Amino acid sequence: MSEGNGTEKILLPVPQDHSPSMRRRTFVQALALAAASAATPEAGRAARNGSGLRYLRPPGALPEEDFLQLCIHCGQCGEVCPNRTIKYFSTENGYASIDTPYIIPREKGCILCMKCGDVCPTGAIQFIEYEVEAILDEVDMGTAWVDEQLCLSFQGKTCGVCYRACPLQDVAIKVGRLEQPHVTDECVGCGLCERSCIQMPQAIRIIPNRG
Amino acid sequence: MQTGGPFFLWRHLNKLRWAFLSIVFAMLVALPFLHLYQTYVSAHAYDLLAESEQRLYDVVETLTDPFVDDPVEDLDAIKGNTWSGTFWGLQLSDPLAAAGQSAAGRTLYWPFLLTALIPVVLSMVFGRFYCGWVCPATFLYELNSNFAGWLRWAGLKPGNRTFDKRLKYGVLVLGLVLSAASGSILVATIYPPAIIGREIYYAVALGGFGGGAVFFIGTLLFDLMVARRGFCRYLCPGGALYSLLGRYRVVRIRRIVETCNDCAKCNAICEFGLDPLRDGFGQECNNCTACMAICPTAALTFTLRITDYPEQGPGHLGRQYRREYAQQDMEAAE
Repeated sequence: MSEGNGTEKILLPVPQDHSPSMRRRTFVQALALAAASAATPEAGRAARNGSGLRYLRPPGALPEEDFLQLCIHCGQCGEVCPNRTIKYFSTENGYASIDTPYIIPREKGCILCMKCGDVCPTGAIQFIEYEVEAILDEVDMGTAWVDEQLCLSFQGKTCGVCYRACPLQDVAIKVGRLEQPHVTDECVGCGLCERSCIQMPQAIRIIPNRG
Repeated sequence: MQTGGPFFLWRHLNKLRWAFLSIVFAMLVALPFLHLYQTYVSAHAYDLLAESEQRLYDVVETLTDPFVDDPVEDLDAIKGNTWSGTFWGLQLSDPLAAAGQSAAGRTLYWPFLLTALIPVVLSMVFGRFYCGWVCPATFLYELNSNFAGWLRWAGLKPGNRTFDKRLKYGVLVLGLVLSAASGSILVATIYPPAIIGREIYYAVALGGFGGGAVFFIGTLLFDLMVARRGFCRYLCPGGALYSLLGRYRVVRIRRIVETCNDCAKCNAICEFGLDPLRDGFGQECNNCTACMAICPTAALTFTLRITDYPEQGPGHLGRQYRREYAQQDMEAAE
């Protein structure tokens, strides 16, 4: 591949030094991490949450750790969700989040109806008013990120589907030349853009913010 | 009451209990379908639904149309399950959910704890009534128990071991400790009614059962092959909590020794392996009234006491009592 094709910025940094000392050091580090995670539940939880799954919690959900402590796995948030956006983990994200609600934005985006926070009995999902100001202020499931290598508009083919899917048009996403999407800081991470992206794999995706 | 025998309706309470259990279970099955219907309505795309989805839409619309104006909003009135549910704005939760969540968060979150208040008060009055009258798992466990009866009739031997009933208190403590250690309410993953509420929803609305269903089937097999109603009797953490809450319950079943004939049908029918024949109810009794329903001489009734009657000896219509009584008579004559 030629230089400057841009893909390297989405790849994780790969350790280049493969000398034995380096490998031993990483092994020792891994051991230390394992020991630390066994000793303190918080660290263990942080390690477990690195399952590699890119998922969102429902809108208004507390930061991950508080969320897990409050959620009682009753399933009412999913039952009230009119878009059937909310799904429930089995064991794939670790035992601490078994039967807890999650959203995979590529499968179903959140329509920001705010019913899940209304029905949640424990406040694990906070109630947020169904108003634009409240949603912009308090919902932060993540932020959309555009891969300009994949995005059709950035490749010279006018698209604009994500912009049209966005419930907060011109606030969360603005479009420039050829309908090239530009995500602003106001993005709440509902995932409707990622759901609607016609590229495969999707050119716009939500970077989750689980606190 | 003492002399005239128990109120005649008491022996029919068991049927009422089955009606309750069936309604709760039917509700847990119906709610996910209502939810699906709501999602279809809010999508505003009837013509794009699959044929089976259209059929579901039509059926639920026919059933609910007289009661609701706007299905998307109005059918939200009842949500959730017996673990935690919303009924026209009233939120009710299982006391175990409150206990488990307090353990997991290591704080007391009052808005949620208050939702368990009504069940806690009812448990302190009626004891472990939840296990007999509400629990959706009980519905399936009792059917399973009847199935075991058929197996016995067919010549197979279902498991009939007994363990220490105090085992479940250990499960409760362990579950709460693990919840506190992991920071997540792990006790919910082994509590059958919570599992059933969730799994029915998963199966209907999300396209398939989850891991909890496997666990629940395991408990059914345990009941069938190892111990009758074994999970409820020996392992259920919620049953343990309800038993503790109902230790000094006010409404109890009592044997009327004057009309008891020692037939022991009450002991045979008791799902929890209690000993009504010798006045042994204890904190485990869930007031299911099966013993009342089967008693041939109507020798069981309700009483308002916070402890069981001390053992009253053999029933006065029984052979043992008559023998002793005759002996006493003869001794008196001499």
